[in-house]
Amino acid sequence: MNCNDSRIYLAAYFDDELDVGQSLGVHQHLAGCPDCRQLQREQVVLRSALRDSALYAHPSAEFSKRIEAVVRRAARSEARPRTSWIGWFRFDSFRWSWAVAALVAIATIGAFLIINGLRPSHQQIISTAVLESHIRSLQPGHLIDVPSSDRHTVKPWFQGKLDFSPPVPDLSELGWTLLGGRLDYVDGRPVAALVYQRRKHDINVFLWPSHNSTLYDNVTQENAQGYQILHWNGAETTYWVVSDLNNAELLDFARALRGH
Amino acid sequence: MTSQEKLCSFEEKISPHLKSAYNLARWLTHSHEDAEDVVQEAFLRAFSAFEQFRGEQGKAWLLAIVRNTALTLLKRKYNSTDTVCLEESVADPIEPSPGPEESLLISCNREHVRQALRQLPSDFREAVILREMEGLSYKEIATTMGVPLGTVMSRLSRGRDWLTRILSNTNAPSVKEEPV
Repeated sequence: MNCNDSRIYLAAYFDDELDVGQSLGVHQHLAGCPDCRQLQREQVVLRSALRDSALYAHPSAEFSKRIEAVVRRAARSEARPRTSWIGWFRFDSFRWSWAVAALVAIATIGAFLIINGLRPSHQQIISTAVLESHIRSLQPGHLIDVPSSDRHTVKPWFQGKLDFSPPVPDLSELGWTLLGGRLDYVDGRPVAALVYQRRKHDINVFLWPSHNSTLYDNVTQENAQGYQILHWNGAETTYWVVSDLNNAELLDFARALRGH
Repeated sequence: MTSQEKLCSFEEKISPHLKSAYNLARWLTHSHEDAEDVVQEAFLRAFSAFEQFRGEQGKAWLLAIVRNTALTLLKRKYNSTDTVCLEESVADPIEPSPGPEESLLISCNREHVRQALRQLPSDFREAVILREMEGLSYKEIATTMGVPLGTVMSRLSRGRDWLTRILSNTNAPSVKEEPV
């Protein structure tokens, strides 16, 4: 190793950062070169001068405490979930797009609900239709097409007039007199109307095949214009019952009809 | 890592190097106030980036942040072009290899050394400080300064030669003219 090579490596040699081979090369060169040894001595002197502790800049104890506090505060604010409103409303936040999307969704759902709320349900339309039909039937000469208290007369009468055969139960033993039957038209189809009576109160029973229910569901009750309206879905048949009879008695009637 | 664990780990691995952080910042900025600002900002940056810390060379990792913070501050504050013309200003520090008699004059006067160090262009000063004052290995210095090992080696070598030259020529006008 010559002086030029040695000088390239001298600093690293001095810092003990050379591998064994390079280190050995510099070592051997130094042994035989007073000039380079002199350079090395200078480095030793320089090093001790630079390691003078008075040159080292120490932070004050106060500053050290401050930094510790600053870091701990940062840790605390990181631990806290960021729910700040100011942060939320910052415009660069892409959360805005979520807010807009949510608003649109709410508006859409709201409009849907309002429109549906304003529009009468199918149930309400039928309810109105059966009530009107009941009132019309009470006008002279409209109540009955086939006057008979015999179910064996009423039931066959519907044959050929309807595409189904309505059940016509005899409830006379329970105090409900069958007056007869009538063809009517509800919900866009011809339906059977059975007329029963108790204490001069006429009861119209509208029935037609139901498509969506095989189980007896609960009776829904409604009161309109002084009439009671009951509705339920029987096995394969939809029932609507309208009368000016009091609610308790009409429910009795419904039970009798359902239990039959 | 919960925030409590993070804080504990940070205080164990990073906080002990506060002294080194301040020393480096002070030598880079030459100002007590700037050094404190730099260190505080660097600690906040380090804490928020602590998830990226791989658990080794904690001192070098922190000092790299201190260094970047300091350089940013200097650039903002003084629009410093110091780092740009470094290489030119120490283009040939080794050239006149001092003879034995001359180099005996190397001054160990503390104020001379301080002045010489302050005059040293910052990349070289930084390498020397990290090596001599902080005792970092070449690899750690490379991490801190974000340069290859070979650059660390050459900066250290040239920086020392430069210092040696200045200290053995304390009568040179360039040193005397420098305000203390």
